[in-house]
Amino acid sequence: MATTMTQTETFVGKRVRRREDPRLITGTATYVEDIQMPGMHYAVIVRSPHAAARIRSIKTKQAEAAPGVVAVYTGKDTERVGPVPCGASLPGLRVPHHHVLATDRVYFVGHPVAVVVATDRYLARDAADLVEVDYDVLPAVADPEKALAKGAPAVHPEWPDNTAFTFHQEGGDVDKAFAEADLVVKQRMTSQRLIPMALETRGVVAEWRGADRQLNLYTSTQIPHLVRTLVAQMLSLEENRMRVVTPEVGGGFGSKLNVYAEEALMGFVAMKINKPVKWIESRRENFLCTIHGRGHVDYYEVAAKRDGTILGIKLKIIQDLGAYHQLLTPAIPTLSVLMMPGLYKTKNVRADIVGVFTNCMPTDAYRGAGRPEATHGIERMVDLLADELKMDPAEIRLKNFVGKDEFPYATATGLMYDSGDYAAPLKKALEIVGYQKLRQEQIEARKQGKWMGIGISTYGEICAIGPSPATPAGGWESATVKIEPSGKVTVMTGACPHGQGEETTFAQITADELGVGLDDVLVIRGDTAIVQYGIGTFGSRATAIGGTALYFALQDLKAKIKKFGAMLLESEDVTFSAGQVTCNRTGKSKSLQEIAGASYRALKLPPETEPGLLATRFWEPPNFTFPFGAHIVVSDIDGETGQIKIRRYVAVDDCGNMINPLLVDGQVHGGVAQGLGQALWEQVVYDDNGQLVTGELMDYAVPRAHMMPWIENDHTTTPSPVNPLGVKGVGEAGTIGCSPAVVNSVVDALSPLGVRHIDMPLTPEKIWKLIAGGN
Amino acid sequence: MIPQKFEYTAPKTLDEALLLLAAGAKPLAGGMSLIPMMKLRLAAPEHLVDLGKLKDLNYIRETDGTLHIGATTTHAEIESSPILRKKCPLLAETAAAIGDVQVRNMGTIGGSVAHADPAADYPAALQALEAKLALKGAKSDRIVAAADFFVDAFTTALQPNEIIREVIVPVEAAGTGTSYQKMFHPASGFAIVGIAARVRKKAGNIALVRIGVTGLSNRPYRAATAEKALEGKLGSATEIQNAAALVAKGVDANSDLHASAEYRRHLAVVHAARALMTALARTA
Amino acid sequence: MKISGSYTLPLPPERTYQMMQDPEVLARAIPGCEGLEKTGEGEYRMKMQMALASLSGAFEGRVRITDQTPSLSFRLVVEGAGRIGFVKGEGLLKLRAADGGTEVSYEGEAQVGGTIAAVGQRLIDGTAKMMIKKFFEKFAEAAS
Repeated sequence: MATTMTQTETFVGKRVRRREDPRLITGTATYVEDIQMPGMHYAVIVRSPHAAARIRSIKTKQAEAAPGVVAVYTGKDTERVGPVPCGASLPGLRVPHHHVLATDRVYFVGHPVAVVVATDRYLARDAADLVEVDYDVLPAVADPEKALAKGAPAVHPEWPDNTAFTFHQEGGDVDKAFAEADLVVKQRMTSQRLIPMALETRGVVAEWRGADRQLNLYTSTQIPHLVRTLVAQMLSLEENRMRVVTPEVGGGFGSKLNVYAEEALMGFVAMKINKPVKWIESRRENFLCTIHGRGHVDYYEVAAKRDGTILGIKLKIIQDLGAYHQLLTPAIPTLSVLMMPGLYKTKNVRADIVGVFTNCMPTDAYRGAGRPEATHGIERMVDLLADELKMDPAEIRLKNFVGKDEFPYATATGLMYDSGDYAAPLKKALEIVGYQKLRQEQIEARKQGKWMGIGISTYGEICAIGPSPATPAGGWESATVKIEPSGKVTVMTGACPHGQGEETTFAQITADELGVGLDDVLVIRGDTAIVQYGIGTFGSRATAIGGTALYFALQDLKAKIKKFGAMLLESEDVTFSAGQVTCNRTGKSKSLQEIAGASYRALKLPPETEPGLLATRFWEPPNFTFPFGAHIVVSDIDGETGQIKIRRYVAVDDCGNMINPLLVDGQVHGGVAQGLGQALWEQVVYDDNGQLVTGELMDYAVPRAHMMPWIENDHTTTPSPVNPLGVKGVGEAGTIGCSPAVVNSVVDALSPLGVRHIDMPLTPEKIWKLIAGGN
Repeated sequence: MIPQKFEYTAPKTLDEALLLLAAGAKPLAGGMSLIPMMKLRLAAPEHLVDLGKLKDLNYIRETDGTLHIGATTTHAEIESSPILRKKCPLLAETAAAIGDVQVRNMGTIGGSVAHADPAADYPAALQALEAKLALKGAKSDRIVAAADFFVDAFTTALQPNEIIREVIVPVEAAGTGTSYQKMFHPASGFAIVGIAARVRKKAGNIALVRIGVTGLSNRPYRAATAEKALEGKLGSATEIQNAAALVAKGVDANSDLHASAEYRRHLAVVHAARALMTALARTA
Repeated sequence: MKISGSYTLPLPPERTYQMMQDPEVLARAIPGCEGLEKTGEGEYRMKMQMALASLSGAFEGRVRITDQTPSLSFRLVVEGAGRIGFVKGEGLLKLRAADGGTEVSYEGEAQVGGTIAAVGQRLIDGTAKMMIKKFFEKFAEAAS
């Protein structure tokens, strides 16, 4: 296109289709696996089949002699590569040294032991079979509660109690609250381990240009800049000699918010062999060696008055950490603690976390990261309380919500909720679902021996993570906007969106601010050589923080555009709108394209103004944002088989202002799919010996399209005062809101049997046993 | 997910294929089970003979009142075949319940039946239909009844180097109703339990009942006592319940993470009742 | 995974017991076993070729017999490890005279690890049962 169209059409708030979709749908996008380079070598990693073992010896001779093999490296070779980093810090945290390849011991099934490099991926794989590792198998422990028991095998011999940390947080006067309570409800519940299951597994291409002293690392990550900083450290390489490129990422869900052994290992290999090397994770490896999510055992106690007022909450979390700390492993359960009061007013809370080592893959951030666990807990407890008091679950929530005139609201856990009207989405959802009528129907259904349940979940979440003091590596985000001499606009965002759709939403924001068309805007992300610096995309932060940085960069540019326009129009009295600077007196105007051209030609410059049109902003948010919403599930249970059918799924979400409601709905759909996965089907099962028995898609049940119910989306809009866009974030909302609504509906259906709680996943067999046992 | 090195041949004729098989090659007939095993290196055949490309094994035809389905006919072709839908709807219904669209487009009836996964769907229907299997080797050509074909999990009457040539099922007589009822394994799509029922009514009475069971144990079977309990009856709800209650009697049920042996047995009874009820309703 | 069951053999308990301690007979009965070599009292080294459906793999293993109470019970441990992973079966076998033969009941555990564990949790129970059944069938064959 030769010209930049200036236009009056605006885009923010409209259901604009995603600009990234055509290349994704047609299979023409470039992922790490699509990168080809002359002289490419291939790596295959030899991994431990045992959950705990001493390595007696590793014989690599045969593998080294195999056709096409150029090198085999073991832990001895990589001892000087820095440890896989843990970015979280907690008082007294025990951090095991996490080598990129095991040295004398393995700690979980899948632990990398050696890497075989060959000219061809088939030959590399063949040779991997020839690496002989002699293991002295040791007892393992895979269950966090068993790991805490006396006499349990020690995951790390230096810490026989398997305790990585304990954490305590308290607010208000919990003992007084419990002493004054009319009743206390207690429940143990679990939030099972899950596989994040990105469609694209991990993958790395590393290219060492020895002559330039330059390492190029292509990796499927959510955080390219942090990977550069940390992997450069691991390799003792100057950070400015390393470039990280993140091509298309086929899903992360938190699993790629990490720095993995393989990223440094491929850098190491490339520097050793002086040739590019590629490693693509197999699906089996993805199950074994990419972080898992959740892994909680929670003990809840809620104190209340007879009228339903919640007085206080006690929570003990046993967090299954796995064998090591990945980037944020120990920090995840602390997010659960922050969110433990949910949307409710109680000022008295006490939480204790025990972080437990097990002979399993580490857990870390998975969509929601600590918040689904917290929401599941409090939303189940509120239902238990309602049941005990014979109150309606909607009514008890409305009674305890923080009032809409109480914002900003300081919580007992030290947060400041930014804005909210918690009753609004609940009331809307109740109306959409036809709550009163459903309750009537339920009475009739029960008379006919049918199992029908209605479940409510009202969630709040911490988004826009986060202010720098709350994050290990900075909580701000950056944006650069450059208007090219032709008037085309290039946006470089430090957030590294990977499927969320910011190529569309950031273009919408930019187009509106500058008065250009969507196609005039290019959004670039994921290349440390192009993008200034950035934190990345996770914690529902890209739009709220990255979008705000972009907004401020655009304001800077607009001021400069105005200056150039004023100069060209020889007037001080000008307005910039719809891509034109117009003289308010003469009505004459200059287009953005003309102004951009003039700014670069620089024949004449406005006073104290540099040539060109470029602005960069690093924006530090003053607070998190706190979206909220209400999800209602109506379920019907087949009493003979225990199978659950979700008849209705109503999601009313309030994520502040919506840049693109179509994408907001899409995020909710995806989030709900993963929430349903946890509620109904998914579970990571390690056996007593630490073998992963759900290590393939034939055993691990992720939801397929045909298993999804119809989702009825709606919204309320409470703008956030934290940022000028008024946005909050929605990437994780669906997952957070979902699971308690499902479980509450099923428990509600079975409540005539005296059922109070069921742990996830709600398999048909569990349900059938409850029904068969109860009848 | 990289298999070991192997030879691959796609012969043009069945005879050519049989010669290669006699020389020790392994047949590939869709690859929905074999290829994943090869990618994990749990299976490492040196030579694969792709039967899927053999045109002369891909057919659905009617001769002398029976239906002949070539071994490399895909599940999707069976599911959508007008002749099967009309004359042997049980087989079409069962094919439609297999895995997912991709599996149905690639997988073949011969491949599935020869593999004999204990939770595969076809065996229930084949037992209920009293199907016959035409087996062919380089020097043999024989017919085996489905009842004799399935021996144990992954174990069949196939001799080494013998393949399934075709599956032979009857044209349903008037007054016959059929149904396949299955509990899906949420991860694999296989049958936790699958029941195929055939019911024929004559002059108001149930003249014939056939019940095929898969997924419950290592061997798909016909629930003969349950069949007998219903034959000659009118088909009341109680009669159906009583018959269905017999389908899992004395069977050593399998168990896994998704369904214990006890639950599987219960599911067999529930799905048998549903299959019989539906089949009976379809006799009209 | 827990395993349990029983099988009736057409031999008196004394004879059954005796033959079950005989490495030659065991070698013929253990599915895929290609020979046992004595390494100690009640301990044998084993070469094994597993073949199940399309799955195949070579295993090096051990067989151990412990806790013997002649004619009544003993513990059998069979383990193998190979490129595709490892398998282990361990059980207490109890012998009881029944209808002119011997009812052998067993109770124990089966374990798999490594890639072979990926073959499918849904299949492990059935496969273990089939292997045990084969063991008894081949044992009966070898004994007669």
